[in-house]
Amino acid sequence: MELLKTLTELCAQRGVSGDEKTASEKAAQLLSEYADVSTDPFGNVCGTVGSHDDSKQTLLLEAHIDEIGMIVTYITDDGFLKISPCGGTDERVLTAQQVTVCGRKSITGVVTSIPPHLQKDGESGDSASIYVDIGMTKAQAEKIVSLGDRVLVENTLELMRGHIVTSKALDDRSGVAAVLLALDKLKGKQTNYNISVLFAAQEETGERGAQTGAFSIAPDLAVAVDVSFAKTHFESEEDCGIMGKGTMIGVSPSLCRELSQAFIDTAQQKEIPYQIEVMNGKTGTDADKISVTKSGVKTVTLSIPLKYMHTPVEVLDLRDIDYTASLIAEFAQGRCEI
Amino acid sequence: MTELLKQLCLLDGISGDEGRVRDFIISQIKDCAEITVDPLGSIIAFCKGEQTPKNKVLVSAHMDEVGMIVTYINADGTLKCDCVGGVDPKVVYGKRVRVGRDKILGVIAGTAIHNVPKADRSKAVPFDKLVIDIGCESRQEAEKLVRQGDSVCFVSDFTRFGDGFVKCKAIDDRAGCAIMIQLIKDRPKFDTYFTFVVQEEIGLRGAAAASYTVAPDFAFVLEATTASDIPESENEKKVCELGKGAVVSYMDRHTIYDKEMYSLAFETAKENSIPVQTKSVIAGGNDAGAIHLSRGGVRTTAISLPCRYLHSPSCVINERDMQSAYDLVKLLLNRTYNK
Repeated sequence: MELLKTLTELCAQRGVSGDEKTASEKAAQLLSEYADVSTDPFGNVCGTVGSHDDSKQTLLLEAHIDEIGMIVTYITDDGFLKISPCGGTDERVLTAQQVTVCGRKSITGVVTSIPPHLQKDGESGDSASIYVDIGMTKAQAEKIVSLGDRVLVENTLELMRGHIVTSKALDDRSGVAAVLLALDKLKGKQTNYNISVLFAAQEETGERGAQTGAFSIAPDLAVAVDVSFAKTHFESEEDCGIMGKGTMIGVSPSLCRELSQAFIDTAQQKEIPYQIEVMNGKTGTDADKISVTKSGVKTVTLSIPLKYMHTPVEVLDLRDIDYTASLIAEFAQGRCEI
Repeated sequence: MTELLKQLCLLDGISGDEGRVRDFIISQIKDCAEITVDPLGSIIAFCKGEQTPKNKVLVSAHMDEVGMIVTYINADGTLKCDCVGGVDPKVVYGKRVRVGRDKILGVIAGTAIHNVPKADRSKAVPFDKLVIDIGCESRQEAEKLVRQGDSVCFVSDFTRFGDGFVKCKAIDDRAGCAIMIQLIKDRPKFDTYFTFVVQEEIGLRGAAAASYTVAPDFAFVLEATTASDIPESENEKKVCELGKGAVVSYMDRHTIYDKEMYSLAFETAKENSIPVQTKSVIAGGNDAGAIHLSRGGVRTTAISLPCRYLHSPSCVINERDMQSAYDLVKLLLNRTYNK
């Protein structure tokens, strides 16, 4: 599997929470090379790798397929679209941003802004309302746009330097890519576990796809692969991971301590770069829902360090995806028992 | 003209770094005009017509665009920057940029929204708290790619959308440049001077020098001006509206315009059924501010395209307004040569 190509394809798909179809189809197509794939009515993509052996525990490899975006809530008399966040969108990025409105057909728009010439000194123009200019009258707009249509910024993936890429939706298409790459590394290898895969819908609006998806799969162990905060210029190393220094293994009261330790031991034994991400309760990832599925699932988070989360200019280091995939592949081969 | 506008907008040229734009414009007009480049970098193009008119007439537009400049290379390989021209830091947050001669891709963003205190989540991040990330891990690595003083330009593609609308960076004032190139290619009947000037966005500087050199009797400034016909603004706060024609101003922050020429513009538009409008707010300014005070004074008119989201990566105009502005300038010139 060519990581850059796979990640580029995944990031290019539209998949704002609740409207993941395009992204899910691409993920399902890529997963079908490694697993029997099914989709559920919630929009989840599920995969079963090989034939499962009842004597083995089932290990779930999970990442979410949805991305943050916006949703149309109103069309003004002048044909502007009023929009609201769908997921935890960083609204600061929207000013004068080009967007795509996923209507009956996809159209281009620009988020409105008041130019500096008309602002009073020091006025930042904070507005409770966000509007998209689609250059149409209301009558024209209504032929294409319906309330509830999703809106997103469509920055495609660009290689910046060496292993560094920027794109929209690296949260969490990079996690999807890491799971696919782990399966690629496991091709033809014996695993200590039955392996199932879940690419879950609606993480950004409350980890909902993972809740229903994990219920159906009912795994014994789970790895939720997501992104976490990498240090940016004005931040402290105390508060963040470092880009390029390996996957961030989660340690938290809500995660399985033995499973976290097994991943740490695996990384040490196989000399795979890793970092520890300590959280003090819930993780804010799909792990929160997976871990309390049915009678409970031993769960760990592996997070890819990411800069500028929930913006269209997210940045990460491809090596961190590779380290994450290697760690999963080594663990699945039973490097450390738990 | 739209194709010409696209080519012009996609060229990078912040104030003081207009070379690429200048080269392109010269390549377009070199067969139609006598060209000189003045010491500041402005193009002065003289079009010899069939006749020499009574009045010396100048048409002017500016080549530069707003952007940013690299002021320092941080130890972690990120770039400190400041704005060049009036850029609201809100419009650069979460955007892509190109840095320096090699057009290195950079992104601008900061602390993830999750880690920003609730009270600050909709607040703009000022330039002194913004850095450009070019994917470098150290100053040493970054210094191989960029230098202090490098220009930073918005990344923005040229897109047509909706009912005749166009979106790109730098429409202010490449739209004016596009109209002037077209006027030059049309070969005016009377002798006419055209100046494509530098450094408008940092204080109408190129126009001051170029208009001194030309020493015109009458001047027409072709510009893009602030339209705020968006839901956040009501009635007169919209300033002017897209699709309602070229904007002729009576006053802005730098100029009180020649009253007779102002009236002539509206009469001419009316007689020829060309849509025209004025601004309902006294705001902004353009090279007219420098030109009308040049030497002993120049009778100056500004004809502008209404433009939404001015000074952002996503300027928006309507193609019909561009045609109206072109038509109006052409007719007005003919009424001015021997006035």
